[in-house]
Amino acid sequence: MALPISKPKLPVVVDKPTPYTFDLGNLLAEDPNPVILDRSAIDQSLAEIARDGAQSLINQLLTTCPLQSTSDGVLLTLPAPATRLPREKPVPQPKPPTKWERFAAKKGIKAKTREQRRNLAYDEESGEWKRKWGYKGLNKKGEDDWLVEVDPKKEAARKEGTSIRADGRRERVERIKRNERKMRKNQRDAAEKMGKKA
Amino acid sequence: MLRQVKPRNARSKRALEKREPKAIENPKTCLFLRGNSCSQVVQDAMNDFFSMRQPLSKKFTKKNPIHPFEDAASIEFFSEKNDASLFVFGSTQKKRPHALTFIRTFGHKVLDMLELYLDQESYRSITQFKTKKFAIGMRPMVLFAGSAFESPVPNEYTLAKSFFMDFFRGETADKIDVEGLQYIVSIAAEDTTGEGDAKPAIHLRVYLISTKRSGQKLPRVEVEEIGPRMDLRVGRMKEADEAMLKEAMRKARGTEEKTKKNVSMDSMGDKLGRVHLGKQDLSQLQTRKMKGLKRSHDDAAEPEDIVEVDDSKRARK
Repeated sequence: MALPISKPKLPVVVDKPTPYTFDLGNLLAEDPNPVILDRSAIDQSLAEIARDGAQSLINQLLTTCPLQSTSDGVLLTLPAPATRLPREKPVPQPKPPTKWERFAAKKGIKAKTREQRRNLAYDEESGEWKRKWGYKGLNKKGEDDWLVEVDPKKEAARKEGTSIRADGRRERVERIKRNERKMRKNQRDAAEKMGKKA
Repeated sequence: MLRQVKPRNARSKRALEKREPKAIENPKTCLFLRGNSCSQVVQDAMNDFFSMRQPLSKKFTKKNPIHPFEDAASIEFFSEKNDASLFVFGSTQKKRPHALTFIRTFGHKVLDMLELYLDQESYRSITQFKTKKFAIGMRPMVLFAGSAFESPVPNEYTLAKSFFMDFFRGETADKIDVEGLQYIVSIAAEDTTGEGDAKPAIHLRVYLISTKRSGQKLPRVEVEEIGPRMDLRVGRMKEADEAMLKEAMRKARGTEEKTKKNVSMDSMGDKLGRVHLGKQDLSQLQTRKMKGLKRSHDDAAEPEDIVEVDDSKRARK
């Protein structure tokens, strides 16, 4: 190395009686040494304190944090902040479980897998893969058959203005409405419970 | 209390969801307010603070007849309305000249407050320093100098430290560009002297950092003051309610790091791991192979050996 001898090495080490403490996650350094200010040149002495602090903080950052050079520049990976500061808002409460969730937990029923939730099922009759619900869904099977068998007894007891043709659809709509009722009740209960806690 | 708004469309729903309590929180928004009377010095100081916390701050210029230590209801209203949880309130009164009140809220309720009186003579704003400035949104490094900030009992200085940490923290990220380490905020306080009434001033200085090649691996750091320059005396304070602070310090479940078993760090920062091996099966141990130790020889010799041992035991008895 052909370093010019005339140029002395600049000191990079900060020597203080009490060592600094760092919180690198917050980019923070604490200098517990007593501050003695020269009354005639306060700013000069403050600048010296700041320089020492900055030097030791940068030393600490560059020596202890893993460096990673990318195309955007050299990135420093900081550790998690050590000093805890108060939160802005309370920790969010978990939603209380719905009635079904409570029942499923009691019975040990697992949530459906992704494959089970898939809107595709094998139709044995036609030998084709069909949708479980939605357009041409399997839950509408037999609703638009051109010929339907009629039970005369039930037909006699049928309500006025309804026909066997719309029975499937009516049942489906009723189920949807029932489910929505349950959903609203769950939401109401949850809101009440959350309100009580807060 | 604000009217509870039910979102009518997806956009307003998203906006409301942003304000809800979150497990991992967004950075705090800081709101700058002024009282009925607010001296030019305090206004300038607030402008400086505002520009230092730029993307995360809001400033209102209208006069507000607020006295935070007497009645904080309006502060709570502002907090809820603006989703802000950090306030700097400037006011000037004959009894309390050039006061900057730092207020923190938790869940839109005032958590703690600290009043700092700005020294008019020594104050210099950012614009009075004709130097290069740091880029907006850069995270400053913070230095607290002086043993006053290290006090184990909470007092004005530890509260000030907490406030300034919150204020200068900005957007936390676990990765930071080395180029982004541009400036340092140095907050120093002299040690408390024996008598209790004279509380030392807090000196807030901001310096731009320049690094020089030192011929060693680490660079030599030099600082240049870029302002603002503030000397602050501590005034009134309102400490956080204990129950409220406890709630505010809670960690959300699931965010705490899982402790890895058997891996520890010693005081030197070296990683130590402990490895558990099962009990070694010595019967399968391969010893030295010799002709005399062949299994076929062993089988023949064994019965005799046992008898011999038994005999010797009996003889001893």
